[in-house]
Amino acid sequence: MIEVVRAGLCDLVMDPGRPGWGALGVPAGGAADPAALAAANRLVGNDAAAAGLEITLSGPLLRFPAGGVVALTGARFAAARSSGVTVAWNETLVLAAGETLSLGPAQAGCRCWLALRGGVAVTPVMDSRSTLLPAGFGGHLGRALQAGDALPWMPAAGEIRLLRAHPPVAPRNGTLRVVAGPQAACFDDAGLAAFFNSPYRVDPASDRRGVRLKGPAATHEPIELASQGVLPGAVQVPPDGQPIILGWDGPVTGGYPVIAGVISADLPMLAQLRPGNTVRFGTIELEAARALAAGQWDIEDIA
Amino acid sequence: MGQSNSDTGWRWISERGLRVATGGTTLTRYLSLVSQNLPEIEDLIPSDDSILLILHRGAPVSAALRAALAAPLADAATQTGRLHEIAVEYGGAAGPDLPGLARRAGISVADCIERHAATDYTVTFLGFQPGFPYLRGLPEALCAPRRATPRVRVATGSVAIGGAYCGIYPADGPGGWHLIGRAAVTTLFDPARPAPALLMPGDRVRFVPA
Repeated sequence: MIEVVRAGLCDLVMDPGRPGWGALGVPAGGAADPAALAAANRLVGNDAAAAGLEITLSGPLLRFPAGGVVALTGARFAAARSSGVTVAWNETLVLAAGETLSLGPAQAGCRCWLALRGGVAVTPVMDSRSTLLPAGFGGHLGRALQAGDALPWMPAAGEIRLLRAHPPVAPRNGTLRVVAGPQAACFDDAGLAAFFNSPYRVDPASDRRGVRLKGPAATHEPIELASQGVLPGAVQVPPDGQPIILGWDGPVTGGYPVIAGVISADLPMLAQLRPGNTVRFGTIELEAARALAAGQWDIEDIA
Repeated sequence: MGQSNSDTGWRWISERGLRVATGGTTLTRYLSLVSQNLPEIEDLIPSDDSILLILHRGAPVSAALRAALAAPLADAATQTGRLHEIAVEYGGAAGPDLPGLARRAGISVADCIERHAATDYTVTFLGFQPGFPYLRGLPEALCAPRRATPRVRVATGSVAIGGAYCGIYPADGPGGWHLIGRAAVTTLFDPARPAPALLMPGDRVRFVPA
């Protein structure tokens, strides 16, 4: 059991998600950067698919009555241990019994992942421990952590290895690469020019359902579309011309024209966008996007 | 992607989402694809006239998938789902948009209810929220474009009209459809059930005024 002394802004139990239920209206969900959670899991000796925490913008204060082995990956947050030991990112951390780990605001980026050796032991729902916040199921009671929660945790026995992870080198130029979308032809020249040549600001009303952008209107002819299947990364444009990039917990069908789709390789970048950031869009060909391998996390023993 | 003739109804959303136009054969094609269990497919999302195939990361469209999408379909007549009779409390607080819809159609509220309950609906697909059914079969007079401003909160069980669809909200949440009543179904979606969604694509629904 792990005690939530103080909750962060939105701490969610996450694993790789529950793909395969789209026909029931259930999005795959799961960690916004599954490779980052998988790396954290490897640092603590877990199966890569074990459940951990996804922590957004400002983190919780957790107490480990029995101690624990943890690791943090993703955006760096202000962090402190009650033992006074520095909280390193991308490394195995061994906490003493009764120790607390306090995470403050993110210093840059938006999300980090906390893996616990043994994994968060909430009951799987529809094949996954991931929280689906909009539907209120999965994870810990279908919601974000709250102060006073006792997070179920399965201690694991065996040797502890101290490891360090090296994240993939990401292109950090603020451009999300997209493949032109199914309704790109509905947009007029001015709308396409605005979309592909303008910076867009991330709106505070963004969450795991969608990243809302503000900027020059991507104008299109009025069109009444039937709702059709969509997936994370799809860029929908409502009549006001302000694009919405669908996120991990977004609806599985949508009725707004889809101007473009953010490629899988750039979804980890999407996961780190925070309100106020600006992004641009750049095109990439379908085959080139498919050939981009997932960014490789290298794990090594700490000498 | 090669542009052979079979690709003409294909549209991509990023490099993983292949949207295939399926016209009136969506459900049959969907069931056919499900039964073939192709390894590159992570998920299939049927909608009214297309299916979105979500491919595993990096997976190209295999010859087997190409063939599966082009294969002739078995007789669709065998695909009739279950019939659900659902009691509905029409109008009042449960259906605040019913008078407006009746006015729009130029008929009385009573006529509106009678017409809505007189048809059998087909569950075309689920989307928007887990278990939210898009029902086809709405009489033309009752079709109405979505509200200009969505409601922040729509109650569980609300029966609603959006465009040419009728739907039932499985959970509380925001919604932009016209509310005409409340269905007496306890749970349209329960993730703990072996079959989480009560209504499945291909099922039929008959509304009974309470």
